Amino acid sequence: MRRHLWIYSLLLSFLCLGPIRTVLADPSGGPNLVQEMADIKRMVAAMESNMEVLKSTVRAQNEIIERQNYRIEVFEKKQTSLPIQAAAMPQTPPPAKTLMQGGFNPDIGVVGTTQGKLTQNKADVDGNNTIALKELEVNFAGAVDPYSRLDATLALNDNLEDQNIDIEEAYYTRWGLPLGFTTQLGKFRAMIGKENLMHGHQLQTADYPLVIQNFFGEEGLSSSGARLKNDIPNPWDLPLELTGEILRGNNGESFSGISRRPIFNTHLKSFFEPSQDTNLELGWTTLFGDENPPRTILVDDGTGVMVEEEYTPAEGQDRYGVKVFGGDATFNWFLPEGKRVMSQSEIYFQNRTDRVYDNNAPWGFYSLVEYRFSPKFSTGARFDYLNPLDVAGRQGTTSISPYFIFWQSEFADVKLQYSHTVYAGGEKTDNAAFFVVDFMIGAHKHVVQ
Amino acid sequence: MMAKKTLILSLVVSSFALLFCQALFAASKLNVVATTTTLANIASEIGQDKIRVGSIASPKQNIHHYAPTPKDVLKVKRADVLIHEGLDLEAWREPLLAAAGNMRFLGEGKDSIDVSLGVPLLEIPTSLSRSEGDIHAFGNPHYIGDPENAKIIALNIAEGLAKVDPENADFFRGNATVFNKKMDAKIKDWEARMAGFQGAPVVTYHRSWSYFVKRFNLSVIGEVEPKPGIPPTAKHLAGLIQKIRDKKAKVIIKEPFEETRTPKKIADETGVQVVTLSQSVGEPKESKDYISLMEQNISSLEAALKHEGGK
Repeated sequence: MRRHLWIYSLLLSFLCLGPIRTVLADPSGGPNLVQEMADIKRMVAAMESNMEVLKSTVRAQNEIIERQNYRIEVFEKKQTSLPIQAAAMPQTPPPAKTLMQGGFNPDIGVVGTTQGKLTQNKADVDGNNTIALKELEVNFAGAVDPYSRLDATLALNDNLEDQNIDIEEAYYTRWGLPLGFTTQLGKFRAMIGKENLMHGHQLQTADYPLVIQNFFGEEGLSSSGARLKNDIPNPWDLPLELTGEILRGNNGESFSGISRRPIFNTHLKSFFEPSQDTNLELGWTTLFGDENPPRTILVDDGTGVMVEEEYTPAEGQDRYGVKVFGGDATFNWFLPEGKRVMSQSEIYFQNRTDRVYDNNAPWGFYSLVEYRFSPKFSTGARFDYLNPLDVAGRQGTTSISPYFIFWQSEFADVKLQYSHTVYAGGEKTDNAAFFVVDFMIGAHKHVVQ
Repeated sequence: MMAKKTLILSLVVSSFALLFCQALFAASKLNVVATTTTLANIASEIGQDKIRVGSIASPKQNIHHYAPTPKDVLKVKRADVLIHEGLDLEAWREPLLAAAGNMRFLGEGKDSIDVSLGVPLLEIPTSLSRSEGDIHAFGNPHYIGDPENAKIIALNIAEGLAKVDPENADFFRGNATVFNKKMDAKIKDWEARMAGFQGAPVVTYHRSWSYFVKRFNLSVIGEVEPKPGIPPTAKHLAGLIQKIRDKKAKVIIKEPFEETRTPKKIADETGVQVVTLSQSVGEPKESKDYISLMEQNISSLEAALKHEGGK
């Protein structure tokens, strides 16, 4: 018996040593075997993963069935509303739900802005010492097809004398053009600095900075036209976005009223992250447009008497006689617990003749600092300087506007602002207080600037 | 003078050469961008050296309110694959995609990976109204708080990457299995450590811990926010303080970007512990990956629940 055991042991040892000897004898055999083992392990792991995927699919299918059953049950019981927590059951993302709810309708949102204003200004004009629905914006947005989308904002105004509906923006975006270009066609807020791109309710303050109002209009420059933009490749891997726009000419305070002579606008912006908690955006804007001085001509008044009449000729004398240059800088500092310090400045200056306005080199800037110190509150101040279009010389208007914002929720806020303004020449001052309430319903997604 | 010019010229030439090499190196890998640092981390576990992964939202900021920057636009523009949490967690995702204009993610969106597929969702509203606060139409999107869901996320990422890069499909799937095995072991450990606190009443700041508390059998008795996304009011806090006393809650769970003042005020009155947990890898800095993040969350919560206190 013992002898048999010895024989079995020897035989076993021989059999076990065999493969080891082969591996040792063949230097390439060891690594190959290890490699094969690794491959087998990987294959097994992949198979296990496939199993998991299959299990997951089955689980997802079961969840869909459960969910449908649940819906049928609710439907049968004619329950129209259930508490949110009651529906806590296994679910999968329900794409069909969105389709059923919205169909092919665009996303729709409504934003209202009510403004109250108290001012020393004695003029009985709209907006002085009054409270009014300043604007009601209706937004529509949605995909046109796999290559493009449409965004539109209609603004309804409750002005005392002319209640109206404006197309604030309505533009078609087409992606995927050669070399990565994107184009936008329609009417949009011109790519000028930072605040001109914002709708009224997006502003930190109750009104647009004085330089924007004076150079581009009370609510900035929004114009029909075409836009083309792309990123410029660079060795530093910096975001360097260049935008070119051709805008209809009869827009903005600075330009002529002739629509067939367009305004050309270019904007270049870059972005830096000096640290994990800070970022800095820098931009440069250049606009060229026409200045068409009005002429006085003699016309027949219908009775044979020639009278003087002012008119603006279609053929301007100063083709691209208005040049506007501007720089913008926005700095964000993100503090712990959702607090934030933001500073934003824009400066603009013009080179133009003095045939329409008295000033051939108007310029201005604003600087704004804001501190969001809690989820509910933020406070800040804006300083404005403006050497306006219609005041010759170096006299400037200055204004300081401290403000306070109460964020009731993501969808409603209240702004309080005081503005002390000393007009060019220093003889006239104004003190004004603003009370603004913004509120919104429905879909509302801000465009990434 | 000549030598100076030569030096500058050679510096410029070598910079461009380096850039070219970097571009060549980068081109050989899939360029993946994830909306959050946590997804980026899980993606790196799955893709390893076959992908180059970046993230968008800062882990220090509230994911709902993040404002994408021009740098994010550029990242998405250059990406081959976009990984996102789906549902309506990243409300800024659609405007970001529109700004980037990368056709891979628009229209059919065939190269974007929605990791929420197959995740059993909680708190799906049956009626939608903002009077309920900032509720989410498809259900609570904070599912990443449950480590079991991280396994589904890993599988979704592996499948998504496999579709874009079929040659490495087995590699991605294999790595997902390895990741999930690691997760299984850790979940077992975490569940064992939390077993002693079954049904423990807790308060959360926002409704972002529903999946986490369900996994570890804790009981949420209220939120600091009266309704999702709505800042707390005095009346609501008075009610919450009473509830904490009645139910003997020991802990308020908040995230790093949420303010401390209100939870601290409640803590001063009731003696509850305020514990800061995170769902974003990289915040706090020590959480280098999803496992260490959850490990830190469990340890902090365990310590707070063990703490004897209360008024």
